[in-house]
Amino acid sequence: MSAEPTASTAAKTDGWEPKIVAFCCNWCSYGGADSAGMGRFQQPASARIIRVMCSGRIDPLHVFNAFLEGADAVLVTGCHIGDCHYVNGNDKTKIKYKYLENVAHELGIEKERLQLNWISASEGEKFANFIRDVTAQIKKLGPSPLKPEGVA
Amino acid sequence: MMQKGEMYVGWSTKDDVRKRGGSGGLVTSMLAAALEKKLVDSVVVLKKINEFEAVPIITSDVNEVLNSAGSLHSVPSNFAKLLANRNLKVALPAKGCDVRGIIEQGKRNAIYLDNTFIVGLNCGGSMHPVVTRDMLEVMYKIKPEDVHGEEIEKGKLIFKTKDGKENAITIDELEEKGYGRRESCRYCTIKIPNNSDIACGNWGVTGDLAGKATFVEINSEKGARLLQNAVDAGYIQVQKPDEKGVAMRARIKGVMEGLGKKWKEKIFVPIDSNRLEYFRKELENCIDCEACKTVCPTCSCGDVSKCTEYHSRNDAYRMSMYHLVRFLHLADACIGCGQCSDVCPVDIPLTRLYRRFANPVQEQLKYEPGMDMRKPPYFEVKLNE
Repeated sequence: MSAEPTASTAAKTDGWEPKIVAFCCNWCSYGGADSAGMGRFQQPASARIIRVMCSGRIDPLHVFNAFLEGADAVLVTGCHIGDCHYVNGNDKTKIKYKYLENVAHELGIEKERLQLNWISASEGEKFANFIRDVTAQIKKLGPSPLKPEGVA
Repeated sequence: MMQKGEMYVGWSTKDDVRKRGGSGGLVTSMLAAALEKKLVDSVVVLKKINEFEAVPIITSDVNEVLNSAGSLHSVPSNFAKLLANRNLKVALPAKGCDVRGIIEQGKRNAIYLDNTFIVGLNCGGSMHPVVTRDMLEVMYKIKPEDVHGEEIEKGKLIFKTKDGKENAITIDELEEKGYGRRESCRYCTIKIPNNSDIACGNWGVTGDLAGKATFVEINSEKGARLLQNAVDAGYIQVQKPDEKGVAMRARIKGVMEGLGKKWKEKIFVPIDSNRLEYFRKELENCIDCEACKTVCPTCSCGDVSKCTEYHSRNDAYRMSMYHLVRFLHLADACIGCGQCSDVCPVDIPLTRLYRRFANPVQEQLKYEPGMDMRKPPYFEVKLNE
């Protein structure tokens, strides 16, 4: 608990790759990730995808846990509003995200580290671009201040 | 028949209650009448141990209620958790934050509000008993044991000693030195609890009745029943207030709320750099006793809850999961009552931390917990933008 966060920031220059946790819903954004692969859109290997049945399943707690376990960024993705497989799951995501965003901001987590995006199953290119953009942003920011000691 | 929205000035017809009770003993008599006439089965009162200690009890004894007359400013209790999950038909006195806590528990189905008669009390703030003892020795130069009574009048805090002497110091002066009201009371803006069934207080009592009567505003049909019952039973006497009194009450309310807002700006100065480090430092001493969760009047998860079940000291995270979950859960639920700071054994200013998260969220969602029956936005289906 006592170590200062500065110790890990030194690593950011020498080829450090950020770890990004991306929550994807089964019906849209996971399909989007799939079609990004099928369409051969290049993207950095920084994202770890966690598939959930609906973005409404993502509890703010999951996001905090990801940060505390060492994620440099957490992405919440789901179907476009109105396209939810479960009618209004992503409307509920929006409400939860509002809370999450506010608490994370007040806590001092940069807004680039927590992002919400709606990606449909056919938007493979959008998914790849999104991951690429976030990776570039996080590389500039360096490791997350919430990263525990000894985690790269 | 009395109606919602009406205002009265009243006092107790029982001489000893009128003398002992604050501002004419109306609240005490009203509660006693409700119990006597079987409007309720029980009443919550503070049983006094000494000037700085009292325990809240649920009683069905009329004499116990009458004996409880008198105000205690340095016993910051909150009755909401006491009533939760008990299914009582109860009447109770409550300051603004108690009322808000009770309504929040009502929303979470832990208190049946139709059976709860809430007598709201105007509240300018309460004091922490330990700080008060310290203040008496340092500022007033009197022994805490010698105190016989206390009163707040015209911005001055007055302590009476057993030998009949009165010691007065202005509250502003006390708060400059770090004593006086609890921090959460200073920036509280609910001074007249219009969310209760009936709001009582000494503001607005004019003329020769000043200090000897209570100003009453009826906020609901339940409140009208409670007051009517007490009048019919012959426990209290009421009359219409004069216009001057009504205006005075509104003015005091305005001034107090303005002061509260000023304090709020003073305390919640935005932290520009390294906020995470600030929160980490403040929470560093936490010993996971969960006292803050136990007393929290809006928390109703019970013993098995997200904040405790997902938290383990073995994780060695940079920030405690327990507090992160609580920050999040209280973002829309925190009523700023200050109980968490009061009970914290390692003196973490928890209320201040919770409010840091709650202020922006509640402002953005235009949601004030405990003021009405609106469902917490977290559980709404669609975000109203």
